[in-house]
Amino acid sequence: MNEQKIKSIMSTILKISEDEIHAESSPDNIKTWDSLQHMNLILGLEQSFGITFDDEEIIQLLSYEIILAIINEKVQ
Amino acid sequence: MNIINNPISDLESYIDEFQSAELPLLNITILRNITVEPIKPYIEYLTLCMGFRANLVFGDYDNILQDILTSKLLQKNSDCTMVFLKLETLSPALIYRFTELSPKEIQSEIELIHNFIDTALKGIRAKTNSLVCWHGFELPISPAFGMLDFGNESMQYAVIEGLNRFLKKQLSTHSSCYYIDLNNIRSTLGIFNFYDNRYWHMAKSPFTLAALKNIAIDNFKLIRASKGKNKKCLILDCDNTLWGGIVGEDGLDGIKLGPDYPGSAFYEFQQEILSLHHRGIIIAICSKNNEEDVWSVIDQHPHMLLKREHISAYQINWDDKAQNIQKIALELNIGLDSFVFIDDSEFEINLINNRLPSVETIQLNKRHSLDYKAALATCGFFDSLSYTKEDKLRNKQYHEENDRKNSRESFDGNIESYLKSLDMVAHLEFANSSSISRIAQLTQKTNQFNLTTKRYSESDIKAFTDSKECIVLTVKLEDRFGNLGIVGCAIVDLVDDEAHFDTFLLSCRAIGRGLEMVLLHSCIEVLKSLKVNSYNANFIPTQKNKQVEDFYSNFGFKLISNEAGIRNYIAAENSEFAQKPNYFKTIIFNS
Repeated sequence: MNEQKIKSIMSTILKISEDEIHAESSPDNIKTWDSLQHMNLILGLEQSFGITFDDEEIIQLLSYEIILAIINEKVQ
Repeated sequence: MNIINNPISDLESYIDEFQSAELPLLNITILRNITVEPIKPYIEYLTLCMGFRANLVFGDYDNILQDILTSKLLQKNSDCTMVFLKLETLSPALIYRFTELSPKEIQSEIELIHNFIDTALKGIRAKTNSLVCWHGFELPISPAFGMLDFGNESMQYAVIEGLNRFLKKQLSTHSSCYYIDLNNIRSTLGIFNFYDNRYWHMAKSPFTLAALKNIAIDNFKLIRASKGKNKKCLILDCDNTLWGGIVGEDGLDGIKLGPDYPGSAFYEFQQEILSLHHRGIIIAICSKNNEEDVWSVIDQHPHMLLKREHISAYQINWDDKAQNIQKIALELNIGLDSFVFIDDSEFEINLINNRLPSVETIQLNKRHSLDYKAALATCGFFDSLSYTKEDKLRNKQYHEENDRKNSRESFDGNIESYLKSLDMVAHLEFANSSSISRIAQLTQKTNQFNLTTKRYSESDIKAFTDSKECIVLTVKLEDRFGNLGIVGCAIVDLVDDEAHFDTFLLSCRAIGRGLEMVLLHSCIEVLKSLKVNSYNANFIPTQKNKQVEDFYSNFGFKLISNEAGIRNYIAAENSEFAQKPNYFKTIIFNS
């Protein structure tokens, strides 16, 4: 459930197709994932899930795998 | 459906659907010394809601003056320039080190900021005629000197208030420049919902998405007005809207209305309606009721603030409200998209949303009547860019129009003798500083009698007026029932020996009186006196101006081409023009 929602948000904000997103997807292999889009992604995820990331989490959330893990932790 | 409150990813998907739709562009430039990029989906979404597609360009971070003065960022015909100038970046000394500063140092910081504002504003106005939405400085939440600071005229809080006062004053001296109050948005949301300290520190992006959404909404109240998309008329339900309860059942004495609780909710709501009335908004009633019951409340209830004289049109019967609203639109002669309909019934609101989607609706929750006033006051549908003499007079004029109508009925079809009986006086005048804002307003609001429907800002009109290659002629109308003020204008470009009619329009209140003939004849007289003997004009069709598609040919212009509905006409000084109307009492030309 969270997987699908995260992929859909990443796909609309980073303007990529959902199929392109896999565990290791990160700013290193997704061109549109720059620091500005990272901010939009974080804000968008927070808004959609109704959560707030801690200050340090924001800079750690640099792959799909980590995003999923931290969100799973927060939305339990 | 309005999805502005949905997450931005929903907005982004919605926006993507319109990627290849053919929509006119709305060009917006953002000048800033902070990061505000996350506002983008809100701006793009609100632009789509207006029927445009946003072309949004961000100036470089903290590069405002360079962007204004040395780059090509600001285009002459851009639609809107937004300025985000945050004091933390502009003057860190005033924000972070205020307690260390001497009065002299404070003064010199203030002067630097004044200079910055002046230079930026003059620069913007020299480059573009666009609407300018300038976001004022945020006041400190915990000012430098603590509690003492709030009451001291020379401390931080007062200094920043002073900067905002200066900014407002400068904005008001330039045309089409408006102040957006971030402090008001901040106090609506509360600081924890307004600021995101994480991204302020990490990326100089101070605002939350909720803040940016509200900022975008406020900007669009002005942008909508600049594009003529603001509303002109409020249509009100009666039972459980204007008063509590149902007059047919509870009776005149049983309904809730008055200065004390619980009637105070409705009393306060009516006060809000009256203040819209005094701003020039037309008030109409659409109620399912026995007509005499409603009039008994309006005429006899001791606390009824809304009186007959405030109501310009009404439909009080048991027919369906969609039909009734259409009748009101016909009677007032304004388009359905100029209306806001307000009702407590979900059924009626849904009916109007489905049947008349161009009418805006506000549904009141009758279990929370104490919030009625806020629902109306915050809707933003009626915001305008100016408050003119004509606005002040408008509702009086609709009453005069009713008198005219009654008088017309006694003339049984002989329209000329009726028009003659009105004792009409037309005053023609070239545009001047006192008419510029009204002319801009007319170009923004006139839909029906508008040959080209070009929307112009005050600075555009000022530029036309200052130009030697352009004539801007206005016409005022007065008759024995009252003064309608400036109701028409023509903008004519002069190129070599030829004239081109760029704009020709007449307010809907002045249609059907032959005034358009007077205005066009006067334009041609002016052109002849300038030895301009060849006249070009065109008609650009919209959904609303069909009634004037033959105006130029009826007047005696020759149709030379018709491309996709755009008709091009020519005429010359010796063309045979339609006769000048002879039923005006006087036609005065103040040159």
